[in-house]
Amino acid sequence: MLKRALAIISLLIIGYWLAQGLAGVPFGEDKMLVGQYYLDHVKEQTGAVNAVTAIVVNYRGFDTLGEVTVLFIASTGVGALLWRKKRERTAKTEGSIVLTTGTRLLVPFVMLFGVYIFIHGHLTPGGGFPGGATIATAFLLLYMAFITYEIPHKAFEKTEGIVGMAYVLVGLIGLAIGGYFLYDWIWQDWKFGADNIGRLFSGGFIPIIYTIIGLKVGTELSGIIDNMLKEEVSE
Amino acid sequence: MNALAAIGEALVLIGTFFYFLSALGLIRMPDVYNRMQTSTKSATLGSLGVMVGVGIWALGTDFGSAAWLVKTIAIATFLLLTNPISAHALIRAAYKSGIPLWEGSVVDKYREHLEAKEKVAEEAPAEEGGEE
Repeated sequence: MLKRALAIISLLIIGYWLAQGLAGVPFGEDKMLVGQYYLDHVKEQTGAVNAVTAIVVNYRGFDTLGEVTVLFIASTGVGALLWRKKRERTAKTEGSIVLTTGTRLLVPFVMLFGVYIFIHGHLTPGGGFPGGATIATAFLLLYMAFITYEIPHKAFEKTEGIVGMAYVLVGLIGLAIGGYFLYDWIWQDWKFGADNIGRLFSGGFIPIIYTIIGLKVGTELSGIIDNMLKEEVSE
Repeated sequence: MNALAAIGEALVLIGTFFYFLSALGLIRMPDVYNRMQTSTKSATLGSLGVMVGVGIWALGTDFGSAAWLVKTIAIATFLLLTNPISAHALIRAAYKSGIPLWEGSVVDKYREHLEAKEKVAEEAPAEEGGEE
């Protein structure tokens, strides 16, 4: 009781302190310095309509590479923590017939939607991370509905590594052509899709990077699910 | 304000009314199964009404296009197909984890079915049909 009261009081003090700090920031006023630059130049400099993905992939691509690395480390860490020689799925009951049939019908559509999200990253909200998470959701559905389902491990782990390397490779090609890492050579030098802004074939290398990220996130999260659902079995 | 916008508005109104009924059912009903019964059905219907209504409403305005209707119908179809499956899975999981029926319930055919199945499995232990 005393512990809880102390916790509530200290949380209130921290909250008041934060509110005092934020009270000096005016709400709803135009205070954009860098943001205005992004909004003014995003179309001509990156070819993307979606300013968020342009910033995430193009202006600040290094952060995204870091995020992908974090995810990769998380997946590897889970794999290393839960490593055992012999692990199997030990689920006892199959999902009901309604669930399995529904999953069978639904999974292709969920995957299709995930692919749609990451291919249209430069046009619509979303991008590689939500698209990849949607694809992983499809695999989670399969895991939940069928007691023996397993992802194709060999293909998945290879895909994960290859697309991770592909991201760095795209950045290195930019380094070779334009002089800095993750230089958008498709847009800056080739002008690919310059008269096509707002349609699918535009946006420089954003769709390519997002396809890479989508595949990577999808395979990685599926791998984490797979690792967590398996249990050790004795011979 | 033309006819399409009016139809859309009416559909959205009907949809929100069913949303309200579904929330009311959650409070009003006595046990899990009755709550699921009232809330899932009317929430699904309410979503359909609101979504298709928004699509038609957008057709009636000057900024709207058929793209709105296509998108909303796609989402509505998805919800229509997935909501019942999730409700089914939830209710089945609730029953399997032993949540009791409302004390006013009279018939529990599913329990009888499960018990009959168990009895058959006991009498013929060679067959492995006992596990659900």
